[in-house]
Amino acid sequence: MSKRKSRETHMLLGECLSQAQKILRRRFCHQDVPAMPAGLDSQHKHLLELLRRTAVHGESNSVLIVGPRGSGKTMLLSYVLRELLEEKDVNKNVLQVHLNGLLQTDDRIALKEITRQLNLENVVGDKVFGSFAENLAFLLEALKKGNRSSSRPVFFILDEFDLFAHHKNQTLLYNLLDVSQSAQAPVAVVGLTCRLDVLELLEKRVKSRFSHRQIHLLSALTFRQYLEVVCTQLSLPSDFPDSRFSEEWNNSVRKLTEDKSVEDVLQKHFNISKDFRSLHVLLLLALSRVTTSSPAIQPTDLVEARRLCAADYKANILHGLSILELCLIIAMKHLNEIYEGEPFNFQMVYNEFKKFISRKSRSIHNFEKPVVMKAFEHLQQLELVKPMEASTTKIQREYQLMKLLLDHSQIMESLQRYPQCPTDVKQWAASAFA
Amino acid sequence: MPLQLQHEGYSEEKLGLLAEKITCRETQASTLLALLGEPDHYTYPSIFIYGHHASGKSHVTECIMKELELPHVTVSCVECVSAGLLFEQVVMGLYGSEATALLPRSSSILDFVRVYKQLSSQEPSYQTRYIILDRAQLLRDMEANLLPGFLRLQELVDDNVTVIFLSEIVWDKFRPSTGCFEPVVLHFPDYNKGELHQILTLDSHPSYSPELYSSFINIMLGVFYSVCRDLRELRHLAALNFSKFCEPLERGEVKETDTHKLWKNIEPHLKKAMQTVYLREVSSVQWEEQQQKEEKEAGALKGLSAYAHVELPYYSKFLLIAAYLASYNPARTDRRFFLKHHGKLKKTNFMKKHEKTSNHLLGPKPFPLDRLLAIFYSVVDNRVAPTASVFSQISSLVTLQLLTQVGHDDQLDAPKYKCAVSLDFIQAIARTLSFDIVRYLYDFL
Amino acid sequence: MATSSVSKGCFVFKPSSKKRKRVPRVEDYFTEGNDDAKSAKLRFNICQELWEKIKSDTETLQEELNKKTLDSLLELIRKCASGFQLKANDWAGLMRASEIPTAALVLGVNVPDHDVTFQGLSELLQQSVTPFVVSVQAKECTALKHLMQKVLERIMGVDVPLNEEDEGQSGSCSVPGNRKRARCSLSSLCEWYQMAVKKFAARSPGKKCSSLGKDVLPYPPVVIIFKDLEAFSPRVLQDFILICSRYIQQLPLMFIFGIATSPSTIQHMLPHSVSSLLCIELFQSLSCTQHLATVIDQLVLTPKFPFKLTGKVLQVLVSIFLYHDFSVRNFIKGLQLALVEHFHSQPLSVLCCCKKEAVDHAQQFIHQDVERVRQLPSFMRYVENQDAEEQVKLLTNDDHVKEVCQKLIKNLRKYHKNYHPVLRCLHSLTSSLPKYPLGKQVRELHISCLEKNIWETEEYNTAMQLLRMLAKDELVAALQNCADLLRPAKSEKMKEALQQLEDYITKFDKLDQLSSEDLMEEEVTSPGKDLQKKTDLFQLQKTLLEMRESRRSKKMTPFEVLRNQVLDIVDQLVRTYLIPPETQPMNEVCYYSSSGVLRRHLNATPRTSIQTALSHPYYYLQHEGLQTDTGSISNTAPDICVVYKLHLECGRLINLFDWLEAYCTVVSAAEGKDPDSPDYGKVDELKHARFIQAVSELEFVGFVKSTKQKTDHVARLTWGGC
Repeated sequence: MSKRKSRETHMLLGECLSQAQKILRRRFCHQDVPAMPAGLDSQHKHLLELLRRTAVHGESNSVLIVGPRGSGKTMLLSYVLRELLEEKDVNKNVLQVHLNGLLQTDDRIALKEITRQLNLENVVGDKVFGSFAENLAFLLEALKKGNRSSSRPVFFILDEFDLFAHHKNQTLLYNLLDVSQSAQAPVAVVGLTCRLDVLELLEKRVKSRFSHRQIHLLSALTFRQYLEVVCTQLSLPSDFPDSRFSEEWNNSVRKLTEDKSVEDVLQKHFNISKDFRSLHVLLLLALSRVTTSSPAIQPTDLVEARRLCAADYKANILHGLSILELCLIIAMKHLNEIYEGEPFNFQMVYNEFKKFISRKSRSIHNFEKPVVMKAFEHLQQLELVKPMEASTTKIQREYQLMKLLLDHSQIMESLQRYPQCPTDVKQWAASAFA
Repeated sequence: MPLQLQHEGYSEEKLGLLAEKITCRETQASTLLALLGEPDHYTYPSIFIYGHHASGKSHVTECIMKELELPHVTVSCVECVSAGLLFEQVVMGLYGSEATALLPRSSSILDFVRVYKQLSSQEPSYQTRYIILDRAQLLRDMEANLLPGFLRLQELVDDNVTVIFLSEIVWDKFRPSTGCFEPVVLHFPDYNKGELHQILTLDSHPSYSPELYSSFINIMLGVFYSVCRDLRELRHLAALNFSKFCEPLERGEVKETDTHKLWKNIEPHLKKAMQTVYLREVSSVQWEEQQQKEEKEAGALKGLSAYAHVELPYYSKFLLIAAYLASYNPARTDRRFFLKHHGKLKKTNFMKKHEKTSNHLLGPKPFPLDRLLAIFYSVVDNRVAPTASVFSQISSLVTLQLLTQVGHDDQLDAPKYKCAVSLDFIQAIARTLSFDIVRYLYDFL
Repeated sequence: MATSSVSKGCFVFKPSSKKRKRVPRVEDYFTEGNDDAKSAKLRFNICQELWEKIKSDTETLQEELNKKTLDSLLELIRKCASGFQLKANDWAGLMRASEIPTAALVLGVNVPDHDVTFQGLSELLQQSVTPFVVSVQAKECTALKHLMQKVLERIMGVDVPLNEEDEGQSGSCSVPGNRKRARCSLSSLCEWYQMAVKKFAARSPGKKCSSLGKDVLPYPPVVIIFKDLEAFSPRVLQDFILICSRYIQQLPLMFIFGIATSPSTIQHMLPHSVSSLLCIELFQSLSCTQHLATVIDQLVLTPKFPFKLTGKVLQVLVSIFLYHDFSVRNFIKGLQLALVEHFHSQPLSVLCCCKKEAVDHAQQFIHQDVERVRQLPSFMRYVENQDAEEQVKLLTNDDHVKEVCQKLIKNLRKYHKNYHPVLRCLHSLTSSLPKYPLGKQVRELHISCLEKNIWETEEYNTAMQLLRMLAKDELVAALQNCADLLRPAKSEKMKEALQQLEDYITKFDKLDQLSSEDLMEEEVTSPGKDLQKKTDLFQLQKTLLEMRESRRSKKMTPFEVLRNQVLDIVDQLVRTYLIPPETQPMNEVCYYSSSGVLRRHLNATPRTSIQTALSHPYYYLQHEGLQTDTGSISNTAPDICVVYKLHLECGRLINLFDWLEAYCTVVSAAEGKDPDSPDYGKVDELKHARFIQAVSELEFVGFVKSTKQKTDHVARLTWGGC
């Protein structure tokens, strides 16, 4: 009897947790933000204002949101859009066209996409258009044929804006911006890009048509604010079904952020990058360690998560190499030191290796050349060494020029971490100018 | 002590089954599992798993997907000769083969995304869908927008989907110049010796006791561990040599317990196996056969490389030699080597001191056809008419990859060649002609 | 890549289809020129059927030769295929489940011969093991998808469109019409295979005995033949193997690598991660030199065919083979060419056919033919040896000549009947001697026999001497297989010889029984014994001498007596039957002798012929005006010749203007202007134009080329002056 009750409560806890997980994961993975992203107030206001103009007063406009990856461009935009759409008249009025430089790889495709998103295929049917401009004009015209006399405002949202700049003489950009200049139909062109020099990419005629509005998201968070963000990001919303749990959770979160170890973990992370996405990854990893047995994020979780994030990939790979391969790497390292990073070929590496073997080969017994060759190939396959020029077919394998993609420190460090690495190999590695 | 997998989303016994399947990978599995979260939760858009060959990447992911019955599709990028094929397979895996009809031929990622949206709206699933891309490094060679696209697929198709990349290559090598959506990166470390041992013992021979097998594995690891840690390879080696290992038992000379004797017996064979088997010079079948007949006559098994000798027509041999000389000797030394009475070349200025690195370290240099012929005519003993077949032999040598033509194949006037054979090879050829090639090589003066 | 037509050239053949589609033309070619079409036609027919016979023989021969290798290959394939479903229960097999069985077939460098082999192989496979065989070539699979496409298409027999190819009808893909299209991936092959196997299993019990070989496998393997491994791009190969290995569980794949050079190329092409997916077995086909030896043995060293080659011709063919291409096929082509040439050029070759035909052809000789016969040098020689009135008859009476012809023809045939067995005997005797005084191969002996009287040569004598020192057992053995060689020969002469030999053999055997003689003979023969370990020639001579001494001193043992006798017989045989064919009257009928023609055709020297054409135009044009003493060139020669001549005097870079001027002087000299006239050697448009044309022709031939190095200069591509 009592047993069942206990299980029920447990179940309950489980449900709560999974609820919490669900919500938080939506945040971290699916970018749906609880509150307005911190430290971006001004940008937010600016953007909101701009878009509202178009939405309500039908003013055309164009703006670029520029910021490094993961700095919350999309997040900001989507947040703003959500806000706008909450306003009734805007909601049923505004049209959105989302384009992405990754998908719409050229303007013809892009135009098709626009037609689709404005669902005007049937209107266009199989008309033939003289020029791109005509076509676009027609589309916008078609929007007029709504219930209202004045045409509906359209938001053109160009993700990966810089990629559009690479299209053949930038037809799409030209036309969109042109429309946004001449007030034939109310459009707002919003470009998102991570390239600060994006304007340099634009042709003159295109650039001239762009209202040089740029919103930069170079977040100027202080560490305090950062902690705040962490807190808000982690804490559950007020409308969480089980209030008791959410309270506990939020308290635990607050406690967490005050914890010393957590703080300096975050400090480290903060110093590397302030952007939201990397933070999300960190938090997600921490969150994923929460179970019924430990129903709240512990400091250790964060530390652990941090460790996962900060791992050195190449060191990890090196750790898995065989002794022979490791020896080759060391040989290459020496070659690099001798010839000041000149490219080398297998023959040279093999010679170095031979020299080492002949000098003191207690632990490594003498491998035949083909075996060594295979090891070398494996390294190449792992892209720890890289051929200078691509064509392998023409040249003999032995003589193809390579270069090593590891630096001294990486090698030495991984040597230390290497399981039962024979000492003479270590010495060889350590010895300058073998 | 293997830690127990546990997760809210799934029933105990399922996890139990899963745990059995993945020996020595519990840690990674649980991390991954935790990251994936419960079926209906959102998961991070893209997860990048890297680790060495045969470190259980695809195995673990596959097991998780299969055991926990998650909607998923696994595609090996090496198979996808074109992006279109890749999309086709993904769609088919997730939505069944008739769904592929929606995809146009040679579909671009845009088509894919559109079709995916359409399909997912038709049959929305409350569980996360998983797309697993094996050998993901090959994505880099396809269209430039493919990798970034897949990385943020969740955002693009706006569905609860997660892409899992599996690769042997570290993430740094994937990142495009302008950066892209950063996935969560997980590392599958290589198995350590103990783990290897544990895993290898799993497939023990039915007709022998597992203890015996494990002791055998122990010995084998002792020999091979330094060369290769590839589980697949080791398993292969084990399979080949086990029968040999058991022979004394068969003959009833030794008891299973007497490990030392067994070790004495097998050790040399393993050493031999290092060369022949590891390089796959002899097929496993041949190896086994040889192991059987070893008792009768100890015929050393010749590997592939033992058959290095190549039969060539008489003039082809000389052409090849000429080519070798031309590509390993500096052109200015030709006079000294091939003129009967080359006036007084000073030894000093002939042997340029500064070029100390031998050409056999730097590799062959390209040479024009004229030089090749000139040397050819001076090395070949009797005089040869410049017949068509002499010329065409050159190009047939190119076909055989013994020479390589530098530059374009269609270059008709003054083509350049390189010699693509090793020193021992050319020496073998020269021996058949009783032509002392070393005397003509600058490096060996 | 480099398998461009040029590279093929090494092994290129004359268009082999002399007979098939071109038949009428060839006949005309035969008949034209010489007056009596009838005999020409006759010759043509004879030639044809002879060739047909030779061809069929060679084909059977080829099959024979490859049989061993191919059979073992088939064996392997069968094993693997049957292993495919056993795998499950056998432990070792289980461990090896992921390997793709692969056969590395080393065929030698004579690439064009391979096609035949692969042809035979795939046919063999299809009959006896599996219907699913594909062979791919490097030049059709430059990229992975092409390779994939080829394989799929050829196995499943449906078109597998690559994406970019059918951009155009991309709309049409939804049309159910092209359901037959398959996706370009192995998975589709797998599905197809499952279906096919089902059908197959359903069908097979009925046709087990009929079409497919004795054992029908439930899972016939899918065999992929890579004809020329070297030429494949490693990248493509690696990827393909990787893909295949993912399907090996569901699909019994098998590879066959055709390797021209050496198996170690596999190591060079594939990294370990890939080669570890293969289970490679090696198969070595027999070397092309052996191949050639057998071919010559079957085609040349046999009385079967009336058509014969003289020593020189054979020499040419063989040397082309040994020096240039190891291609047996080319050798046979050469033989064919010789055949055709012979029948075309030699009107009397009507007699070169089987005996009775030859006889009645001789019967129907018209006067002209008889005249031709009289012209034959060998016939003349024959006439000279006759007594006076016989000579008169031969020179006057046609019918008599016909008679004689028939007789001679018969003799010739007899000669051949005896020649070959004896040749073989001699070879079998001498081939075991140290240092092979008469050559290792039969063909060498044959050639030297054709050239001169073998018994007069130094080598022959040494050989004989060595033979005279053979120990008993060895000698008997040698004689034994001589006897075996003689046995098939039908002519009674040979029968006699055989009889004699056998007698001696028995005598030798007898020797053992009555070897109750004194021990001295033992110790006399014993020095003979110790010679048998092949000491070097010098040693032999020495011991030989002292044995002479001893022999003089002692009386010969019965064994030695016998030995000498038998060897005398052999010697006699040689002297009677191995006489060179020139001595035979009417040998021209059967022997093709013009080696020069053959060499010109088979081993052309384009460059030299161009040079002769340019430096000695008379050689080709045969115009009196062009005849000059060597070196200099007449100024009436064609422009290009003049230009060429002039360019020989220049350095690496040629100043066009100087060249032009020189040219003009030469040409105006030709016009016979007087040297003092003002416009002598002037450049006018005409000359200029001619000059330019000549130069461009020269460029076209590839002797000069335009260069950027210096303005209005051209670079010279020839070297050496005049």
